Amino acid sequence: MPPKPFAPEDEVALREALKRCSPSTFEAAVQFRKTGNPEHVPAVVIGVIERFVEPDLRVKLKDADDDLRLIEDLGIDSLTMMEIVILVEDVLQMTINNDELRNLRTVGDVKTFIDCKIRGLPLPKPTKFIPIEHIGAVMPIQPPFLFLNEASVSSTAANGKYKISGQEFFLQGHFKDNPVMPASIMLEALGQLAVLYLLEGAPTEPGKVVSPQTIFFTGCEGVRAHRVCKPGDILSLSIKPKRMKMPLATFEGAIRVGQEKAVIAEEITLTFGIVDAVNAPVPINGVGVAHGQPISTQTEVAPVATPVRAAMNG
Amino acid sequence: MPRVFITGLGFITSIGNDATTVTSSLRSLRHGFELYPPFQKPDIPVKVVGTIKEFFTDSTDPEDWTFPARYRIKRELLRSMAPNGLFAHCAMLQAIEDAKLTDADLSNPQTGLYAASGGSPMLTHYHHERLTKAGVMRCSPLGIVASIVGTLNFNLVAAFKILGASCGFSSACASSAHALGFAFDEITLGRQHRMFVVGAEDGNTDAILPFAGMRTLSLQTDPALASRPFDAARDGFVGTGGGTVVVLESEAEVARRGVTPYAEVLGWGQASDGHNVAISHPEGNGSAAAMTNALRAAGVAPGAVDYVNAHATSTLIGDISEARALRAVFQQDLARVAVSSTKALTGHGLSLAGAMESAFCALAMRDGFIPGCAHLATVDPECAGLNLPRTTEARPPGIVVKNSSGFGGANVALVFRRVT
Repeated sequence: MPPKPFAPEDEVALREALKRCSPSTFEAAVQFRKTGNPEHVPAVVIGVIERFVEPDLRVKLKDADDDLRLIEDLGIDSLTMMEIVILVEDVLQMTINNDELRNLRTVGDVKTFIDCKIRGLPLPKPTKFIPIEHIGAVMPIQPPFLFLNEASVSSTAANGKYKISGQEFFLQGHFKDNPVMPASIMLEALGQLAVLYLLEGAPTEPGKVVSPQTIFFTGCEGVRAHRVCKPGDILSLSIKPKRMKMPLATFEGAIRVGQEKAVIAEEITLTFGIVDAVNAPVPINGVGVAHGQPISTQTEVAPVATPVRAAMNG
Repeated sequence: MPRVFITGLGFITSIGNDATTVTSSLRSLRHGFELYPPFQKPDIPVKVVGTIKEFFTDSTDPEDWTFPARYRIKRELLRSMAPNGLFAHCAMLQAIEDAKLTDADLSNPQTGLYAASGGSPMLTHYHHERLTKAGVMRCSPLGIVASIVGTLNFNLVAAFKILGASCGFSSACASSAHALGFAFDEITLGRQHRMFVVGAEDGNTDAILPFAGMRTLSLQTDPALASRPFDAARDGFVGTGGGTVVVLESEAEVARRGVTPYAEVLGWGQASDGHNVAISHPEGNGSAAAMTNALRAAGVAPGAVDYVNAHATSTLIGDISEARALRAVFQQDLARVAVSSTKALTGHGLSLAGAMESAFCALAMRDGFIPGCAHLATVDPECAGLNLPRTTEARPPGIVVKNSSGFGGANVALVFRRVT
């Protein structure tokens, strides 16, 4: 899409619109408006979000991963979201509908969404947040061997968190008087996140679902541990599918603690099988299969106050 | 019926941004007028405004506003405020501290908030212009709650987590007097233990200048002569903004918390002129009826009143109407009742006036003085017979009446008693 000519008065208006954003945000917006190059969009979007976040929370955005949540982590309510949208619309010269806003829960969602809009690509399926109860309900792996406290799954990645409580049974012996999370268990946690991805995020043929009973570990490559992890550490796990071809799915995975790299796995490969959706276990929330008709196994995203609903209080 | 007391005050006014400064201004008759910079243009004949010092709120963008650093307000709250919301928010913080209220006292089902402001003409104008220029879907999502009448209560109730009764009042210059009267009722009816009564106005170009069309604004260029209620040479009112908060509490709450109130609210009354949309009744019939109703409700004989804080705004017709109403109500006792209008010092605060001037009465009762009639040189013969002290009297008024009148001929009178 060739950009409209960027006149000097446009630059004046843009500078005014972005007067409370960082200079780099303004520069990125100018570049985008002049060239139409979508590479400048993330800097603009992050800059606009930063401008609306309370100053003491802005540090979170500095090295933000795409998992950073708008409401929970940044305190952005639905009205602030509207302020962000209006400014983004204004500076990027685009239009965003109320319906499209509903599914934007993370910084990554927003970046991907704007990017797809600019490039004219279809919008990705929204990231699903999966609370601990739901993880327990769908996973074949159960406590005390389940190493995910929360997770989010999209069609392109899965992210999760696990806090090392210190109560894990194996820490009594690993090591003597020195509890350290075994690297093998951390690899296991990545594998579990990949299992969750297969069950909740992986695209499958219509009417088919991945069966939890069919998923097993087959191999891994390029595993390196970089950091000793101890009780109190919060492991931030992420996996991305690299290849998916029945019956094998290969992922890359990483674990961080804060901004520090803890474990890298270049490849983790699982084997899996699919079954007819009608025979699949019904996920909780009563969503999944009804009256023998296969429907989306998509769990409903928890309701978020949307601008439309907010307005109804008026 | 539970008795009702005033236990806390907060002020952002043209004559001071805290109770101490306001008291000193009232005692020494120090006015708050300035030549208002936005009015110093050849095509604007109005020059003087009761300005709010230490605050800059003339921008349509709340993030441009500046205000004293002791008030820390998050953008999340500021973004939906009009200037009157900011003034009132700061006055709320003062009143809460003054009344020694805890967070639990503030946010419970027995604590409510009644507020009055004229909304924000400046922001209404700005957001409407944005709608036509930038497009319907690019209006600020908070444009409405920042600008319409009610913006004050929306913002304060949310910001201070008020759980009890909340409502806005819209009877123009009688609004916050109505708010105080109905807040009193909430407590006497046993529905609420505590009520915040809030009045506030933007007091800027868009809020004040529309009154020029009615020819009700003073065109005086000397700030010391512009507002002179009851004076023969008065030529209209001087506009002002700001915010005032009055905390009302039941007798039981006063006892439970062990606080010393400023004054007791004895009762109130109201009556309407049924006469003209904007001109007060020439004989002051509605105002007289409101005072009579208030005194009856309070169980006070007219002869027992020591001080009337008049509505008198320094307009030609209004001041005479009120003088006639006072004559009708006080009759043979007229000479013993001191009358002054503190609008001579502050200017006319419109929806703010009733709450602000009731709070002035509370200060006068606690600190034992009667504010004099500032800037009064020659009493209008039509106002003859009133006891209009030229200087502040150093005696505590025992019973005080506060008058307020608004457009449409709405009249409110409130009766207070000194706590000894």
